[in-house]
Amino acid sequence: MDMNETLDTHLQELRRGTIVLACLQLLRTPGYGYGLLESLEQRGFATDANTLYPLLRRLEKQEYLTSEWNTDEARPRKFYRTSEAGIRLADTLTSEWVALTEAIATLTDHTPEQEN
Amino acid sequence: MAATLTERYISAVTKSLNPTAQDDVRIELEASIADAVEARVEQGEPSADAEHRVLTDLGDPAILAAGYADRPLHLIGPKYFLTWWRLLKLLLCIVPVVAAFGVALATILAGGNVGEVIGQVIGVTFSVAVHLVFWVTLVFFILERTGADTGVRWSVDQLPEPAANSVGRADLIASLGFLVIGVGAIFWDRFLGFFPTGADPIPVLNPALWPWWITGLFVLIVAEVLLAVGIYARGRWTTGFAVINTALAVLFASWALTLLGRGELVNPEFLDFVVQAGGEGFARGELASAQQGGVFGILAAITGVCLVLFPAWDITDGWLKTRRAKYQA
Repeated sequence: MDMNETLDTHLQELRRGTIVLACLQLLRTPGYGYGLLESLEQRGFATDANTLYPLLRRLEKQEYLTSEWNTDEARPRKFYRTSEAGIRLADTLTSEWVALTEAIATLTDHTPEQEN
Repeated sequence: MAATLTERYISAVTKSLNPTAQDDVRIELEASIADAVEARVEQGEPSADAEHRVLTDLGDPAILAAGYADRPLHLIGPKYFLTWWRLLKLLLCIVPVVAAFGVALATILAGGNVGEVIGQVIGVTFSVAVHLVFWVTLVFFILERTGADTGVRWSVDQLPEPAANSVGRADLIASLGFLVIGVGAIFWDRFLGFFPTGADPIPVLNPALWPWWITGLFVLIVAEVLLAVGIYARGRWTTGFAVINTALAVLFASWALTLLGRGELVNPEFLDFVVQAGGEGFARGELASAQQGGVFGILAAITGVCLVLFPAWDITDGWLKTRRAKYQA
């Protein structure tokens, strides 16, 4: 495995959980598969369609998302919306993310002192 | 009209899904693919290319279907892998050996020659091993998909003893004790006899083996003693020890099998005595199976298989210990 490959693996590992959080936050206003894929990409959470679509179904099954068919337009679309439980999960994940960010910041702050 | 690429793709995804989810996934996926194609066409791509590109990006439909159905894409995952691997190794150590023993015995009793015995043993051992691997793996494949608990937990008590691989005093005492009992048994058999006959003792081993054949056996036993002491002194098995151990085991097996083959191992007087003591029924039993060499033919076959198997095990054990000692060093 060369250097780039290991780098990719590490980045992937770090990003893995963030897609769920981003979906939960974005879907506080209802959205559908392809539209969500676009918004995620615009906001810097580039993800593959074949990861996102099954993920939405999984979150729906876990009752963090609710869904509704919209047949007003020519193309029937399944709209997802973050449920009450989903909002609570998003809040928990967000505070965890903030705590981690702070913890990581203290790591870099303290490194020079530890060397002394 | 032939189905479009998109239609073919979607049916490939949905065909393996739960029927209740199929329509839902199909309609949603149709919309998602159509949206993506439309976005590309708006960018100026020809629609055929756009469709091709979008479907290529979505990847193998079977992977997408597995994502929808939450199905694992591996045969046996990390949850079961070690349990599967340990069980398989354990069974592969035991079952084919037992099968080989049984087949060798059965073939010899059925009057097979050496070639037939070897052929049967190799064939059956191989097919037993293949069956074992297949069925055990199948069970774990099902466990992986049903998520059942195997109940196997690791605990610190399972950590191997660090001294287990080095040669301890216990090994030495066991080896020497075994050899002393063996020598004692040979003398006891010759001069006191194991079986109360009411008259002079009848040895089990052929007295004609004394003195030369028995001396040869004692030389082998002394060599075994020296080997056991040498291994103890060195503290571990080495390749040299394993080679000597192999040579001794082969020599011992040849000694015993040659005599057994010539019919000189067991005292003929002893056999006569057993037949007489066993009465007419026993003798008839012998007659009934006379074609295959009678009761003694059966006993000789069993003894012969044991005489091959135990040295073979001894040789293997020696090499295994050598290998372990090497890894440790």
